[in-house]
Amino acid sequence: MKRLQLQRWSSSVLSPQARAGSRLPRRIQHGLRYQSTNPFPVTDAEAEQLFEEEPSRSSIRPSQISKHALPSPPVEAARESAKLAALHARLYLPSRLPLETLGRTLVDESADPNANFNNESLATLGHDLLTQYTSEYLICTYPRLPMTVIFAAMYAYVGPKTLAAMTNEWGVELAAAPGGEVDPGHLQFRRLAPGTNPNETPMRTDRRWEEQTWRRSVTSKVVNDNVFGDPVRASVNPKLLAKAAAKNTAGVSAEEASAQFVRAVVGAIYLHAGRPAAKRFFEQHFLSRHLNISDLFNFSEPARDLARLCARESFEPPVAKVLSETGRLSRHPVFVVGIFSGKDKLGEGAGSSLLEARSRASVAALKAWYLYSPMNVRLPNSMEEDGAAPWKPVHVDLGEVIV
Amino acid sequence: MPVQGIRTVTAARNGVGAFILQCKQLDFHYCDWAGSSRGMVAFLKHQLPAFAKANPQIEIRVSPRPHKHPVIKGHYINGREKAICVRNLEPEQIFNKANLLKEASGEKLKRTKKPITSLNESVRGIWSPYHGGFKSV
Amino acid sequence: MFSRTALARAFALPVEQCAHFSVARACLHSAATASTTTTTQPQAPLSATPRVQTSAPSTKPPASAPLDPASLKKPVAPTFTKPLELNQSLLSQLPNLTSQQPHYIISHLHDKPYLLTQGDQIRLPFLMPNVKPGDVLRFNRASVLGSREFSLKGAPYVDERLYECRVRVMGVDSEPLRIKEKTKRRRRHVQQVRSKHKYTLLRVMDVKIKTAEELLQEGAVVVDETA
Repeated sequence: MKRLQLQRWSSSVLSPQARAGSRLPRRIQHGLRYQSTNPFPVTDAEAEQLFEEEPSRSSIRPSQISKHALPSPPVEAARESAKLAALHARLYLPSRLPLETLGRTLVDESADPNANFNNESLATLGHDLLTQYTSEYLICTYPRLPMTVIFAAMYAYVGPKTLAAMTNEWGVELAAAPGGEVDPGHLQFRRLAPGTNPNETPMRTDRRWEEQTWRRSVTSKVVNDNVFGDPVRASVNPKLLAKAAAKNTAGVSAEEASAQFVRAVVGAIYLHAGRPAAKRFFEQHFLSRHLNISDLFNFSEPARDLARLCARESFEPPVAKVLSETGRLSRHPVFVVGIFSGKDKLGEGAGSSLLEARSRASVAALKAWYLYSPMNVRLPNSMEEDGAAPWKPVHVDLGEVIV
Repeated sequence: MPVQGIRTVTAARNGVGAFILQCKQLDFHYCDWAGSSRGMVAFLKHQLPAFAKANPQIEIRVSPRPHKHPVIKGHYINGREKAICVRNLEPEQIFNKANLLKEASGEKLKRTKKPITSLNESVRGIWSPYHGGFKSV
Repeated sequence: MFSRTALARAFALPVEQCAHFSVARACLHSAATASTTTTTQPQAPLSATPRVQTSAPSTKPPASAPLDPASLKKPVAPTFTKPLELNQSLLSQLPNLTSQQPHYIISHLHDKPYLLTQGDQIRLPFLMPNVKPGDVLRFNRASVLGSREFSLKGAPYVDERLYECRVRVMGVDSEPLRIKEKTKRRRRHVQQVRSKHKYTLLRVMDVKIKTAEELLQEGAVVVDETA
């Protein structure tokens, strides 16, 4: 199995100079001071390559500039912030993750549009890691989950609402407004202008036909949408995006900024402390949270689904039988109905009418099928470790029945 | 659509995986002049550095509050705060008060009778009158 | 100074008070102290849980153990005299229990039973001495291990090598101030008795029942009772 190299990944995220470059430009730049977490500052030439549009907005900021003029706190401030050091210790982050990087994870893109100082790149990496680990865990532990429920479970584990709650539980405070003079221990982002509806985002996708109210299938979601089953934003020319960001017109909601921060922390741990540390961080902070997956199902016609499922798996067709009942002619009757396929009882439910009891029993049978979980499941990411045992394929089922 | 997913949020269980101390910030207020702050000043001079070093996850702030009694304030992750007045206390007693604030959960004090609170469903299931041979119900 | 008081407290309190469980101080502060060893082992600061604890704790520490605080905080070495004995009926029934998730455990602490599952929060009816927030304890007195349909009962306790139940100390909780008014006859005075007790908060980290293979791997012996 091919392994990704840390250095190769981190180079693209951290800085264009993280690759072992020539020593000469480093020497030349040595006299200047930079606001950057990079050990090696970006040279002028490379900065111009990155920002062809605006060469003046390079990453170089001599320290003569007043910190009130900076969009985000200077890097030197990270060492003096008590909040940042406390956050580092509170999360038990490895000492290899410097305070400066932790400070950078707290600067949202809306606060500082410069990609070398905001958490955008770290958050992108962190989001990919989080979604990969979560989806591996879900699909291997519950191999028969329907796709829509996987989307919902992904949203519950690493969705923006959960990440925002985690930011709160980590004790991170939000800055009222971003700026260079703000304590770097605060989460900094530009807030939405009053009166804007945060849910009313322009959802222009690349697929025009889906902007109409046509029915979108699960397959289309799997192929085209993001990990939560939401439509992906239309791809915009990055140059236009940079221009829009430079104007600093748009703010983000606190939930979105908090989510970006948590993702950036995961990405930073991956880059600085390595893959095992990132995995452990994921297990301890994300997988240890409580989620009852059987609460995520919403059946519209369970009896029909169960019949289709039995037909697909070539079981005998399901038959509902009354197991016990009380007070049929009274005001509060209770029926207990079992669903049988041949001699096997698939599920059982109680209800105040025969139909209700039957549908409850069907739901119980369907959940029992979908929530099957094999024992001692091994996740594919365990193969990334050195000296891992040879991989045995895990069982992944077909998923939901198609009606 | 055969089955839809319902979007929820996972519930936090602090301590199951990672443990996060609930006290995030301690404020120490003192007065340079007043006699009730004498113990507090001695505590700040001699014991606070060791206390701060032993608890790196707590942000510690020291600020004067002239003509007032000395106070320790704890800020918690759930947004609440607890304040303890430490006038005329010895440094040793103030250390105990700071430790009390550090170990507190920040919740409002409640009288509870059940020792265990759980998010999980009952493992053994809930008793049902319609099962187990009670046909006469 | 703190270290001095901690030392004095450690000497003053008898060890038997915390003898029901081993106190394993997780390596929590290593990230903050930024020692040089953490650079060689990046996983150390993040692993607050001791994942594999090979040494099962004993019920009583050896009497001759030195009583300095450092040794008090470390898990006590096992003092089992003989390996765990499994008979045939247990070996045949144990897979039923281990394969049915989730599990519960009735754990005893100062002879009071607590029915625990993973993730539960416990508020002990007393203040546990010599623990700090973040400490990991291991419960080793259980009368029942069980799942939905099966249970393993001990007489009176299950052998502690059959399961792992770890809890984490979350902090100290307090009850609201109680004022009890006491009156005596013919005395026009009401005495007020104030009490405000403190309680230790715990969180159950995991409840794990070991499978037969794991037990045999750890040195359990199969005993044939018919012979």
